[in-house]
Amino acid sequence: MSPDISLPLRFVLTGLVSLLGAAGLLVARPEILAGYHYSPRAVAVTHLVVLGFMASAVMGASYQLLPVVLETPLYSERLGRWQFVLHVIGFGGMVWMFWRWNLEQVGHYASVLVTGVLLLIYNVTRTLLRAPRLGAVGVGVASAFFWLLMAVSVGLALAAGKCTYESVNRLSVWSPVGMLVHGLAALAEIVQRYEPIPLMHAHAHLGGVGFFLLMIVAVSYQLMPMFTLSALPSERRAAQTLWLLNAGLTVLFFGLALNRSWKLLGMGLVVAGLVAYGRELAAILRARHRRALDWGLRCHLAAMGLLGALILPGTLLCWPGLPATPFTGQLENVYGFLGLFGVITLAILGFLHKIVPFLIWYRVYSPKVGKYQVPAMGDLYSERLLRAGFWVYVAALAIISVGAGARSVAGVRWGGVVLLGGLAVFGGNVIAMLGHLWRPRLTPLNQ
Amino acid sequence: MTETALTDAQVWDALRQVMDPELGINIVDLGLIYDVQVRGGEVNVKMTFTMRGCPMHGTLVAGAEAAIRPLPGVEQVNVEVVWDPPWSPEMMSAEARARLGR
Repeated sequence: MSPDISLPLRFVLTGLVSLLGAAGLLVARPEILAGYHYSPRAVAVTHLVVLGFMASAVMGASYQLLPVVLETPLYSERLGRWQFVLHVIGFGGMVWMFWRWNLEQVGHYASVLVTGVLLLIYNVTRTLLRAPRLGAVGVGVASAFFWLLMAVSVGLALAAGKCTYESVNRLSVWSPVGMLVHGLAALAEIVQRYEPIPLMHAHAHLGGVGFFLLMIVAVSYQLMPMFTLSALPSERRAAQTLWLLNAGLTVLFFGLALNRSWKLLGMGLVVAGLVAYGRELAAILRARHRRALDWGLRCHLAAMGLLGALILPGTLLCWPGLPATPFTGQLENVYGFLGLFGVITLAILGFLHKIVPFLIWYRVYSPKVGKYQVPAMGDLYSERLLRAGFWVYVAALAIISVGAGARSVAGVRWGGVVLLGGLAVFGGNVIAMLGHLWRPRLTPLNQ
Repeated sequence: MTETALTDAQVWDALRQVMDPELGINIVDLGLIYDVQVRGGEVNVKMTFTMRGCPMHGTLVAGAEAAIRPLPGVEQVNVEVVWDPPWSPEMMSAEARARLGR
């Protein structure tokens, strides 16, 4: 039912390399976090993390998990392979051009990325339409992909708004190129009526909350019961949390984009959705029959704990009339950093320690079941390394947050070194898992 | 020399070699095997999974067949997946429950 493992694996490995790259850039250029976040390098690194790591990992995982969650095969693996090519060219070019602050080229590469996203959404939609039943999880996944489309569309509009269109006077509106350029010029005119920073914050929340968080919440409603031998207590309440998050994000987006006081209402609805999700998660864990929680799941739970901690600064930053001071600027950095590198990255790393072993186990050992003794999935990596990597990573988050809050270049740099250390430990486990592809461990059955 | 007839017990023992790769417990102790019927050289097994949409569905069915096929006297193996009654943790053996911490 699931596609060949090479499809999700290429996305996941691309993601991990991107994450290492982003951590390396924090070491090389700590002013990215120690200074105000609206700088070319800060925007470039943000997109490397968001598109290069998070989107790659979630897209790869989606190709693997959607058939499981929806109980139907993926519509097209071929579309997925094309999407990968467009995705890598798109995000790679965007990060490069953000670094150079050539926003016209950012727009071009973003168009390539968006083409890939459209292929992905078409593929997902055709798969969803085949599903025997959608349920709360299916609706959550569909919502997440809707917000992905919105996020990249707003991003493209933001880039268009930063460009000038001298050629518009020379091109006929009825020619194909002319139609495109006139359209972009009209879009730029609309975007330029709004303040750029609030619009950027709105774009960030569309992606962070809309695509990533909603996807994590929806998929965890399927995976947490599966991995802990529990059950989803109430499909109705699960659906309610997802609808609360959707409604909250809609209000939050417009509130942020228009810089209106009722963005706080949107934040309140999102918080209500997250609190409701926390209650459902607690109920799943209370009802579980597998008492021990492996560290993959603990990473996810730690991420959710951190999310809870970010509610306060997130709400504060939404407060109407909050003055733009160096303090609030650095608080935004810490909030954004902990949201991306903390909540979403930890949640993804946790789930990757379930997904990557599954992919490799399925390729190497699945055909041998019943013929040889094969290792369990948890035997493909070291739980000790995962535990060590987790604690080093958490220490890095703390050091960098304090450094960014205090505008300390040294603090961010040394925190970045520790972050690289934590990722290297995680990476060691990934290499251990991949090793099974070339040296499987098979023993004869007890006859 | 007479050939020993295939028995249910042999089939159950063979199925104990098939492990759920996520939980590390064999599918018999997990309570996934509902019924085994041996009729001459034909072996019929009814099994289930802990949840629908389990990604291990095909793997464990194929694994069960692969474990049974080498048994002496086996000519045909049929593994049928059923969902009634739905699996529940009470179907696990005491050993499996202990391993899971229940």
